[in-house]
Amino acid sequence: MLKATNLTKYYGKHLALDALNLEVQAGEIFCLLGANGAGKSTTINLFLDFIKPSDGAAFIGGINVEKEPIKTKKLITYIPENLVLYGNLTGVENLQYFLSLAGKKLKSKSLEMFLEEAGLQSGAFYQRVKSYSKGMRQKVGIALALAKESKVLLLDEPTSGLDPKASNEFSELLIKLSELGVTTLMATHDLFRAKETGDRIGIMKSGQLIENMSTGEVGHTDLEKLYLDRMK
Amino acid sequence: MVWEIAIKEIKEITRTRQFAVASIVIMILMALAIGLSYNYYQQIQEQHEEARINERVIWEQQDEKNPHSAAHYGTYAFKPKYPLSLIDSGVEKFLGISVFLEAHNRNEADYAAAADQTGLSRFGSISPDFILLFLIPLFIILIGHNVMSKEYERGTFRLVKSQGVNMTYLVLGKWMGIYIPIFLLAGIVFSAFAICLNLVKDFGDVNWLAFGLLAILYLLYYAIFTSLTVVASVNIKNSGLTMVSLLAIWMISCLALPKAATTIIEESHPYPTQQAFSAAIAEDKAKGLNGHTPWSEASKKLEEETLEEHGVTSLEELPFNFDGYRMQKGEEHEAAIFFAHYQELKKIYENQKSGYNTLSIISPYLPVRFLSMSLANTDYESHWHFSDAAEKYRLEMQGILNGDFAEHAAYGDWSYKSDKSLWKKIPEFDYQPPGLTQILASNTQSLISLFAWSLITFLGVFLSARRI
Repeated sequence: MLKATNLTKYYGKHLALDALNLEVQAGEIFCLLGANGAGKSTTINLFLDFIKPSDGAAFIGGINVEKEPIKTKKLITYIPENLVLYGNLTGVENLQYFLSLAGKKLKSKSLEMFLEEAGLQSGAFYQRVKSYSKGMRQKVGIALALAKESKVLLLDEPTSGLDPKASNEFSELLIKLSELGVTTLMATHDLFRAKETGDRIGIMKSGQLIENMSTGEVGHTDLEKLYLDRMK
Repeated sequence: MVWEIAIKEIKEITRTRQFAVASIVIMILMALAIGLSYNYYQQIQEQHEEARINERVIWEQQDEKNPHSAAHYGTYAFKPKYPLSLIDSGVEKFLGISVFLEAHNRNEADYAAAADQTGLSRFGSISPDFILLFLIPLFIILIGHNVMSKEYERGTFRLVKSQGVNMTYLVLGKWMGIYIPIFLLAGIVFSAFAICLNLVKDFGDVNWLAFGLLAILYLLYYAIFTSLTVVASVNIKNSGLTMVSLLAIWMISCLALPKAATTIIEESHPYPTQQAFSAAIAEDKAKGLNGHTPWSEASKKLEEETLEEHGVTSLEELPFNFDGYRMQKGEEHEAAIFFAHYQELKKIYENQKSGYNTLSIISPYLPVRFLSMSLANTDYESHWHFSDAAEKYRLEMQGILNGDFAEHAAYGDWSYKSDKSLWKKIPEFDYQPPGLTQILASNTQSLISLFAWSLITFLGVFLSARRI
């Protein structure tokens, strides 16, 4: 579902992503680990077409992101580290708005259903989002993915700053979506969460993918050791 | 999709505290301005009406006298106050409201409202046109300056962009999101005007077409400011800086430039002083025929020509009273001099207006200001139009009076007297202001500027969308 072929990005002379080759299958959760500046967010941004590759190409569902950005964006939902919504609109209104941008119209009942499915308390549906916690906002993001029937989730450190309970709930939602066939590419610093949630883990360093393994291959302790070794 | 984006913007804008506070302030100020304007209008109209009726009675009740004495006694032509002046009072208060009509003289309109005010009037007064021209554009800037920049600053833009939305639709939706509340606000304001105009119908017919055009004019003006606001917000990307930039544009185009323009234009196309103007007329008049000086060279020449034309040898043989005839000819000669000198003034005014039109390239305020005053019949051109009509009426009046003298009195018989029946023969001054076609034709340049501003700024919105 997600494919990077020789994907390269330079910022001036700085090589941010070095010929990345990656494939993520449908329904798979792929976690990208790495220090700050390793190239995780650059990879996500290239799949989002927020930046243009210096070389190579990114594909979503076999479609070249750079050539058909609008088409590929219809397939994805992006949740950044800090999902900012419109504070003066309610959860339902935010969801409705972002869906309309994606060219979809749903009635309030359906929107409520998706928010509920994403785990948002019903009492919050019609509250203005400025009173939401970060976890609640991330749930609106998941509801968006559900309502959009996204094939791909692109997550940039989505659990950063969430309390353990909210973080766990978020992971459960990702697994649920994965079971529905949604492909996830998640950049994260959270080794534990990556191991718990992901099907595969990739470790990035200096713009290169230096490890690509199945989460079943390593235990929590081994993963931490491997990560720290690779970061040296 | 554009509509959904607009709806979301409207919700966001109208749920902010600054929108609530600013719109309440504007509504209160507008209600106050309309109330004051309405009262002033009623009061002045009543005074005008009373003065007009009294003056007519005084004219008609004159005792028996020589018609030329009646011509010197004179009467007044009153400038009507137009219903639309309730919306835009223009330059009215600096111009006179009545012209004294007498023999041999074209008088300036007198009794300007500003002359009755104290020095404090220099600070200006609250009026509907002030709110329409200055405050509502400011309101647009206030509610719209961060329409796009807040998306960059808060980080919502990445989420918006990730939905695959067409940026032109996004920017158009935001444009509509700002414009629709302004459109509704203007709708409320113009509905209030319409109610007031309906209430004042006893004092003259409202030109509803002009009223509609006035509303469209202001809606276009607000569309220009909305476009400028969106363009700035998209391109500057920082709300504070966008606000400062838009305020600078507002200050330059609405405050600084019109004042600077007045100074520059008055320097480059100055009017003669009242003294110089009167002296020039007096000089020209002295060179020609004066009905009161039968011994002058011009009178002698007229005598000779008239005798020859009628094939007689003495003035007594003429089939009319030559004194009355000479008076009328003198009047016509003086009228031609007045006409020529006033044409010079008009030329200066045209040059000044052309200067303003040139400067309207850098200020959308100027064409709107001029068009608004014209549609309300409160600009200089409307005043000229009235002044010319009063002069035309004066000449007609002189023609009737001199004609009666020439027709009924014997040559040299200055004891001839007419009675009230003649005074009543003089029709009342029935002034019709310039029609809409004439108004629009004389403001072609302003219309072109306004449409150019609308088009270019709206094009700017599209181009900005492509730059995102």
